[in-house]
Amino acid sequence: MASQIFAYAIIGLGSGALISGVGLGVVLSYRGSGVINLSTGAIAMLAGYCYWALATGEFGVTFATGWAIVLTLLFSAVVGIVFELGVVRPLRRQPPLAKLVATLGILLSAQAAIVLAFGDTAHPQPSILPGGNVTLFGVTVPDYNLWMAAIILAAALVVVAVYRWTRFGIGTRAAAENEAYATLFGLSPNRYSMGNTVAMALVMGLVGMLAASIAEVDPTTLVLLIVPGLAAAMFGRLTAFTTTYVAGIVIGMAESVLLYLSTQSWFPTSNGGPLPGVDELLVLLVLVVATFFRAGKIPSRGDIVESRLPRAPRPVAPLRTAAVFVPIAALAMWVLPFGFREGLITSCIFAVSLLSLVVVTGYLGQLSLVQLGLAGVAGFLVSHLSTNFGIGFPWAAIVGVVAAAVLGVGFGFPALRVRGVQLAVVTLAATVALETFWFSNGSWGAGVLGASVPAPSLFGFDFGTNASFHGLGGGEPSPLFGWFCLIVLVVVALLVANLRRSRLGQQMLAVRANERAAAATGVNVRNVKLTGFGIAAGIAGVSGVLLSYSYGSITASSFSALIAVALVAFVYITGITSVPGGVFGGIIYSGGIFAFALLDWFGLQGNWLNLIVGFLVVLSLISRPEGGATFLFYGKHPSLWARAPKKAQSTLPPSGTAHGGTAHGATAHGAHEGNQHGLAPVEAEVTS
Amino acid sequence: MLSLEKVSAGYGQSDVIRDIDLEVRPGEIVTLLGPNGAGKTTTLRVISGHVKQSRGTVRLKGHDLAHLSPTQRARAGIAHVPEGRGIFFGLTVAEHLRLGYRGETIDPKVVYTYFPALRELRDRPAGLLSGGEQQMLAVARNLARSPELLLLDELSLGLAPLLVEGLLPVVRDYSRERNCGVLLVEQHVPLALEVADHCYVLSHGDVVLHEPAERLRDDPELLVESYLGGSAAKETLAT
Amino acid sequence: MTAALEAAGISVSFGAVRALQGVDLVVGAGKLVGLIGPNGAGKTTFVDAITGFVQSSGSVHLQGQDISKLPPHRRAHLGLVRTWQTIELFDDLTVQENLAVAGGRPSLVSTVADVVFGREPRAEQTAEEVLGLFDLQEVAPEMPSNLSQGRRKLVGIARALAAGPSLLLLDEPAAGLDTQESGDLGRKLRRLVDNGLPTLLIDHDMGLVLGICDEIYVLDFGKVIAHGTPDEVRSNPDVLAAYLGKSGQAQAGATWPAVAEGTRER
Repeated sequence: MASQIFAYAIIGLGSGALISGVGLGVVLSYRGSGVINLSTGAIAMLAGYCYWALATGEFGVTFATGWAIVLTLLFSAVVGIVFELGVVRPLRRQPPLAKLVATLGILLSAQAAIVLAFGDTAHPQPSILPGGNVTLFGVTVPDYNLWMAAIILAAALVVVAVYRWTRFGIGTRAAAENEAYATLFGLSPNRYSMGNTVAMALVMGLVGMLAASIAEVDPTTLVLLIVPGLAAAMFGRLTAFTTTYVAGIVIGMAESVLLYLSTQSWFPTSNGGPLPGVDELLVLLVLVVATFFRAGKIPSRGDIVESRLPRAPRPVAPLRTAAVFVPIAALAMWVLPFGFREGLITSCIFAVSLLSLVVVTGYLGQLSLVQLGLAGVAGFLVSHLSTNFGIGFPWAAIVGVVAAAVLGVGFGFPALRVRGVQLAVVTLAATVALETFWFSNGSWGAGVLGASVPAPSLFGFDFGTNASFHGLGGGEPSPLFGWFCLIVLVVVALLVANLRRSRLGQQMLAVRANERAAAATGVNVRNVKLTGFGIAAGIAGVSGVLLSYSYGSITASSFSALIAVALVAFVYITGITSVPGGVFGGIIYSGGIFAFALLDWFGLQGNWLNLIVGFLVVLSLISRPEGGATFLFYGKHPSLWARAPKKAQSTLPPSGTAHGGTAHGATAHGAHEGNQHGLAPVEAEVTS
Repeated sequence: MLSLEKVSAGYGQSDVIRDIDLEVRPGEIVTLLGPNGAGKTTTLRVISGHVKQSRGTVRLKGHDLAHLSPTQRARAGIAHVPEGRGIFFGLTVAEHLRLGYRGETIDPKVVYTYFPALRELRDRPAGLLSGGEQQMLAVARNLARSPELLLLDELSLGLAPLLVEGLLPVVRDYSRERNCGVLLVEQHVPLALEVADHCYVLSHGDVVLHEPAERLRDDPELLVESYLGGSAAKETLAT
Repeated sequence: MTAALEAAGISVSFGAVRALQGVDLVVGAGKLVGLIGPNGAGKTTFVDAITGFVQSSGSVHLQGQDISKLPPHRRAHLGLVRTWQTIELFDDLTVQENLAVAGGRPSLVSTVADVVFGREPRAEQTAEEVLGLFDLQEVAPEMPSNLSQGRRKLVGIARALAAGPSLLLLDEPAAGLDTQESGDLGRKLRRLVDNGLPTLLIDHDMGLVLGICDEIYVLDFGKVIAHGTPDEVRSNPDVLAAYLGKSGQAQAGATWPAVAEGTRER
């Protein structure tokens, strides 16, 4: 057994190298430009496809391995340059959260582009490494695993050497520590940013090509490698290349050993197979440990940040707005043909889901990518309570929503310590873990086939999708279910609008704007955050319940991390800070009525929408961060119409607050200034 | 060499400094005094380009700086040691001397001639230096750039005055020897007056006094009047 | 009579730097107390320590109640309210809402009712009065970012007042104001204190502090170096030395003899 574990550990070097590579990319991006780049895996995927296309003659010309490698690296460099000029540089002065969301947009676009170009099936690609075996301590393993680990190690060492000894590296370190000070020396932060982004892209090129040895090219595997890659990078505090490398390798080896252990008889099973999702759970655990014990030491950049989250306008007359739109939607449910009707229903459901993001991100300022996962929790509970315990509507739905809310408060606790971008990272991992460990699980989740959900009915009145009333448009889903979803959406939307007007909503925005000042005026920051997380999670649960009823069955794939990413992208372009933003986000969401219209009228697939929306996110963050719908609805409000004057033209830290003369003094000082997400963690600083 | 003509600037909509006229000639140390919040730091930031002026002109050797970015101004010869020192805690002393934009040559000899103490500390990260050593490094690193104009912001902040007392004469010597203009913001008035040729006093964003430093050394009452008791005090007391 | 604020032996360290070393300070009931000192002397750190934003040793009593162990928002509930040197308004909320956040502590029931029935939270009376006091009524619906620096400062103070303070801590309220605004502010503060609100005022505008305060503490290098009435502080050579430079200390008597005379004429 020991020798088997050893063998699997060595085999894990290969995937570990890929994780390390993605982690290195994340660190390079962060040090070069302060961006937490969630699209590194996607860039590796682009490179992988490029190599595959060149080496297999997909475009009619087949290149020899050497040439294909060179061209792929060249392609990666170009991708890097485009990424720098199109995303990093225009968003240079945006808050970290905006930068992160932009990389989510790029991830979405890259993935959609690949699916459109090459379909979503996997293609075998020729390996660039020799296919021999090597025997170590009596165990024979394929030697490409060692090669991969060695190549990525070499890349890491080159980067370390450059950072340590070259003028470029020293300049990068200086600019990363304090960009404003760097400009005082006449250094050009843009140049360092460009250099590091290209370096990141080149490492991703390597990862994309090396992956050929252990996997076929497909549009998701490398993209999602960002999750373990981030875990490794967090262990390196987004700063240390060697630590990141080692952490990535260890994660890869541990996953491989877990794979071996899962073949053992004692390993927990589920539906006859080994328990799925254990390695995703492991990655989540690593990430949580890394964020809690290492993230405090992640150096923040002395950055030049001009704007915060877009403003959250106060709804003027929510009831009147609802009175205009609801009759139209209700009528549409009745008259539209079934395809459009189904699209409209899906739009309603996802609008509810997006409203939960409006609360947690728009009002509270915390980017949570786990909202869809919480929706899944509620959905799966409904399915289980109904099929296994005979508990139907409304009790199953209520239990589902409450459970999601409770779990949401649970996620709120880490958010008291982990803020902003780090929370986004942890919640992304949580979504992946929920999907694989819970939703795909044969016994607790849906397995591969999906779990059935009986139609909702109240007092014997069936208003599920296949109710007999079909309206003017005919066909299923029934307009009754549509009206049900519409009513739920209207209620949720009005509550979210009222929340913004209430004292609690004002407190949330106060916390979002400035945690320290909020605490100083008597706001209990901790309670407000937990309440916000709970409300948002409850709303997410409602959308999960609707989703489970809408198809009569529920599958894990409806709650995947990539969909969670897409949702954030959609709501960012319509407006993450307002109710209209959430509702219109649902309308244009792929799978919704707008996407169906595109498909029906122009034959455009949903991936086209994703492709465009991904780019639009970047554009919108630059030009209209409040989002299109928010602007339409509130743009002409007098106090909003007058665009805020350019604030904080100074790029140096505010004067007069400095104290102390050592690195320590300065750190304490830096913590006071804080970043766009409020400032020093009040709780952590004050209690004890 | 440096001249400000009717410069106003601030943050947001209101100006922190108003209609400032100021001149620094080569080889001359000019000190800018005044209570906190009077606009001294803002004035320096306007010159190095980190705050945009709302009105007025800033010229370096006769050239209008309006369209130059902070990076370009730094390359044009403006060295600015900001409050908080402006050095990088993660870099060693020697690395600070390697740091530079493309094509820039930095002469470590200048540093070690003017500040021999730094030679022994060359491999220590700046974050582990004492406050005084950090300040020394900040000044030294900027002298090594052979600047035309050196802006120094509150060198004594959080330091024992003794340390700054050692620094300023070095700046004085450098300025004379290399014909470099210096604009010095300092809260320890006697220290500043000792090395300065000219003195401006700011109060609530206005220049309230402009005299040769010598005159203020001889007649401190002039300064105390504009510095300690503003017109605000009189007004407050009067009502 | 119990003092409004009694801080004893307040010490704060940032790593090896001792920012405050055993500071004792008392604000008597109905008193306007000034805290001055050169840049970096530790004044803001003192406010941070008193309000619970940095860890400190020593004890803080508010109206006789020990609040040393409470988190910042609890101290605020008890009436210890501060402003910030950097103003720190809630930029996402209107001026009115800024004051509302400070004024209201919604109960669970009223919050649920507000959200379910879509009720507008009513403007607190104190908030209205405070807006009136600083002539801010017409900017109540504005976003803070549309206001001038001077107005923003006033909103910061108004927000603190809306929280219903039993002791007000003002951190450099006059910095960035012009001479006239600063004088105006001084008169308003004096009136507030005379109406019974004890206040600790930190500012660099010596004219303002010396002009309106009942007593003054002088801080340098984290220690109280002088304490007394404005006249006592004004004529204290240590204070002048701290303010205008330590090297002048030795000759303080000789180099700056005119100070006492210079101020006496006022």
